[in-house]
Amino acid sequence: MLPEVVLEGGERGGSAGDDEDEVISLCVSRQRHGARHGVDVLGITAVLQRHTISIVTRNGRTLVDEMVQLGDSGGSRDSCLLEQNFHITATGATYLNLLASPPATLITVGIHQLWIALSSLFSMQSEKKAWMDKLSVLQKMAFSEGSSAKIFKAIADPPTTSLQRLKGLATGGLPTFIDVGNSFGAPAIAEDNFIHQLVENGKRVMMMGDDTWIQLFPHHFNKSHPYPSFNVKDLHTVDNGCIEHLFPALYQEDWDVLIAHFLGVDHAGHIFGVDSMPMIEKLEQYNLMLEKVIEVLESQSEPGGLHENTFLLVMGDHGQTLNGDHGGGSAEEVETSIFAMSFKKPPTSIPSELVMSSCKLDLDGKKKCISSIQQLDFAVTVSALLGIPFPFGSIGRVNPELYALGAGRWNLDGINAWDSSNLSELEEWLLNYVNVLCINSWQVKRYIDVYSASSVIGFSSEDLLHISNVYVQAEQNWANTTKNLLLHRNERSHTLLPAFTRQIDFYFSFLSNVSELARSKWTEFNLKLMGIGLGTMLISLFIIFPAIQRVNNLYTTSLFSPGVEEGKVASFLLATTSIVRLRSSIMKKKMLFEAVSFLLLISILRFTIEVGLSKQAATSLFLSASPSWMLGVAPGHPLWTYMAEIGPILAVILLAFLLCRTICSSIFGGLWKYINLGTILSYVLIAVYWGAESNIPTLALLLQGMKKGHIPRMIYAIGLGQLLLVAVGYLFDKDRELDYKRSLVMKTVAILSAWSPTIIILSGKQGSLVVLALIIGGYCIVRLESMEDSDSDAIFTFNPLAITQWNLLAVFDEFALVRQAILLAIDTFGFSHILPVLGLPFLAVCKFLFGQNNHGKDFRFNQLSQMYMMYGLITATMVTVTIICVTIHRRHLMVWGLFAPKFVFDVAGLVLTDSLICLASLLYSGGPTGDSFPKTER
Amino acid sequence: MADQSKKEEENPAKSISVPQAFLVHLISGLGLAASLWVAHNLYSINLVSHPSITLRLIWIVESATVILIYSRFRIDPQQCSYLKAVVRGILALPVGALVNALGAIALGAPVGIQYLPKTINWSLLMSSFTVAPAASVFGLSWTYWQRIFAQTKPNGPLEYMICIPAHGAVIGGWFGAWPMPLDWERPWQEWPVCVTYGAMTGYLVGMLASSGFVLANGRRQRLKED
Repeated sequence: MLPEVVLEGGERGGSAGDDEDEVISLCVSRQRHGARHGVDVLGITAVLQRHTISIVTRNGRTLVDEMVQLGDSGGSRDSCLLEQNFHITATGATYLNLLASPPATLITVGIHQLWIALSSLFSMQSEKKAWMDKLSVLQKMAFSEGSSAKIFKAIADPPTTSLQRLKGLATGGLPTFIDVGNSFGAPAIAEDNFIHQLVENGKRVMMMGDDTWIQLFPHHFNKSHPYPSFNVKDLHTVDNGCIEHLFPALYQEDWDVLIAHFLGVDHAGHIFGVDSMPMIEKLEQYNLMLEKVIEVLESQSEPGGLHENTFLLVMGDHGQTLNGDHGGGSAEEVETSIFAMSFKKPPTSIPSELVMSSCKLDLDGKKKCISSIQQLDFAVTVSALLGIPFPFGSIGRVNPELYALGAGRWNLDGINAWDSSNLSELEEWLLNYVNVLCINSWQVKRYIDVYSASSVIGFSSEDLLHISNVYVQAEQNWANTTKNLLLHRNERSHTLLPAFTRQIDFYFSFLSNVSELARSKWTEFNLKLMGIGLGTMLISLFIIFPAIQRVNNLYTTSLFSPGVEEGKVASFLLATTSIVRLRSSIMKKKMLFEAVSFLLLISILRFTIEVGLSKQAATSLFLSASPSWMLGVAPGHPLWTYMAEIGPILAVILLAFLLCRTICSSIFGGLWKYINLGTILSYVLIAVYWGAESNIPTLALLLQGMKKGHIPRMIYAIGLGQLLLVAVGYLFDKDRELDYKRSLVMKTVAILSAWSPTIIILSGKQGSLVVLALIIGGYCIVRLESMEDSDSDAIFTFNPLAITQWNLLAVFDEFALVRQAILLAIDTFGFSHILPVLGLPFLAVCKFLFGQNNHGKDFRFNQLSQMYMMYGLITATMVTVTIICVTIHRRHLMVWGLFAPKFVFDVAGLVLTDSLICLASLLYSGGPTGDSFPKTER
Repeated sequence: MADQSKKEEENPAKSISVPQAFLVHLISGLGLAASLWVAHNLYSINLVSHPSITLRLIWIVESATVILIYSRFRIDPQQCSYLKAVVRGILALPVGALVNALGAIALGAPVGIQYLPKTINWSLLMSSFTVAPAASVFGLSWTYWQRIFAQTKPNGPLEYMICIPAHGAVIGGWFGAWPMPLDWERPWQEWPVCVTYGAMTGYLVGMLASSGFVLANGRRQRLKED
């Protein structure tokens, strides 16, 4: 790859050297002939010059390094550059002035779903709906004779959601690719984009409307009037705010680029659908507003007026379906439109090969033409129109028709020497456009080079080779053309038009190759691999399935929903199972207390989660949505803080007491007792630690003497020691005389107690409460379970409901804690995976503690492994469902923000669960093996 | 014919004929439909726009219909007058509402000042679907309650008519809650709109099913008598 570029560069350098004299003379002649043409070229020169700078300054060291790596190709650039480098040196001082003289203003009025407004133009059916053709002023402008306005059908790339579309519009890149980079961080755009370039180049940008812009460009705007876009039900705040600020701004000179982003149509679509009165009212309001805007602009568009060079763009960032949804890739969602209008004389008509418009006759027999533009091309085209550098990562191409609309923008009347001497107006425009494309291609090529040099996966080498071949071909062709042009510039024997159009075709083919390749690589998913993964998952599920023989997937299937509130769903299901339990306990007239307390526990847990979440939610809207606050004491109340401080400590003490009682019972002896004693010590230490940390003055004073840092370390040390002891105890287990049941209980308790202090201290003060909740919940489950099974005595009678409940309880606790976002593995997975898996044997054991019949060890182990497999199956099923959801929603707005992290978390959890299951079954299967085997043999 | 009337005298509790059962269900269903119609057309409100008011209208109409009509079929007409049955149905309404509200809150219904009227009205509606008719018919005899609501073993057409629609309403409400956590941001996803829709659908389906059961039961009875 690289050698070729080097070779190519050398060759080019040579050929350019040959023509050096010619080039210089050309420049001089341009200088002499005045600025008319010079400005065009110089505008582009500025683009180039700035661009080089911007790369260096923007991305800092890495890109500088890459530039060094790519030094050869950078040096070789191409003829358009070589030629204009002379301009930079020769006229560096003047171009700034020239560029500064026209107040090249751009008004962007962003309206969601302009598609709707102009939909009758695009739709094939002749039937007319009430909501169609509501923005009549745009059509009037675009289709009137001699107007310099045009309507484009803009085709967006999915996902068609505001944030992604704005990013795509600003950077000229593909959204999915952009999002991978910074999905987890702040939404501000880190890539180069045209707003950034505007600011870099001293343009004053003014923004009003949707506050997404502020999130994307926090420091870019000179002046901004953001309005919250969060509340979908609010149709008017954003729009009225926009209108309020838009019209005064039209009379002011303190901006170069004005962006007004209206949201009402989007919200009306979301809430009421497209075919609704609010939508029509909104569109009518917009129509009036646009009419007034155009009127104001036109009134000041006379030469010397404020809006002489103003360019008005009215655009939608995406479409919507008839129900008002958007985000997907269907034609209705992807297609929107751009209305562009310059307030100068009608532009030169460009060659028909470049026009990609489709015309149709309307009812009056008038011809209406609509061009088409890719939204990808927006950033570069606008950059070219405003004379600013192209965004670094853009892969779009300058759209000829939109660019041509701005061609009459430069106020250069009276300086037409070049025109008369050499080129016709059309030729001149084409030369200009070729130059723009030349830079555009160079920029895209450089981006592709940098990208494939720095990215791990990148493009395949064949693709890269193909692209650079096309590029080299285009370059060579242009070199030849320029040579001819320079050689024969005094002879008007042949027209230059075919040469220019051929050159444009070359560049087009290069740029379209790149964007096709980028689309296929960046926004496509490897469906084959995904299918294989999913298939493996499903097959493994089906293998576990018959192994367990008992199936209960009632509660897991309901997690199919793409809902975000999984904690709530889990609590809903858990409460459902507990209500079912309560019902059956009423039916059997026993264990009523356990059932009721389980239900209460779940309700309490639910409220804890809601309160915990609402504490973290910053927006007031969320607060009002989860009003469990209202029930409790007002935040900040002393009682509240007191409760919050004292509650966890009490919980820890309670835990220690429970554990103490457990080991005081007879079955614990020897080593295991010491392990548990260590845990009690840890609990006491935790209580002391929290007491010392707390805001309650008396407690804090009491414990001030202690050094805080030592306590957690001691706890970790004790935990580690306990685990070692467990391992030792496992290896040198002398309690052969104990039966399997007892050893199982002992081991479970020991393991749990060894883990729990570490997890509790890591997860903070909620930890102890959650452990307590887990213990109570587990106790209730076990008791209810034994009630269910007490009358049946089949061999494999194992109610999967209990395990499902256990599993759901785990999900539940996970959600109480994951939001704490301490990304320590133990903390994250502590309650949701480690403790439940290790504690699962309780379900089996306790049943026999409370229960009755005495089976052999083999039977118990069977049951235990069955239970573990069921637990694994439920986890695996949930992960499979997650995978399916991610697969379905791979183009969803939140895929990188929500589904992918969830997927990664779930898979990590599954792997952890499975390995823990293996470990636990190893651990628990050991013990007194010798004497129990013969028993079951008989 | 004479035989039948004699039987009715012996056991008045089971004395509901198939047409009567259909009529009861029809009137209950019509009461529901009428309240919805009034809400939509006379007051031009609906569950989405004015959940509390609409729910209040529905439960007032529905509970009145249900209590008045089911009180006619009380199991102990000797000890209990029609008026007394109506009164005990009315008394049971808030009690049942409390149970329903607690269940809903345990299942995740939002609690808070702005949700309070909605929850109260919703639970009163659920109570008029589930508890009120049973209270009117059975009064305080615990065995009936336990048989119908804990064990779901209805015995005879009258118990079918109370048991199945009540269970239908509860199960329908439970399924109606499913769309709530989805992020579609539709107004009907709010508490208690979709739960109410689910409960009403479940109630209607339950009434259809119980009509079917009553019909089948009547046929079996007739076959036995033949």
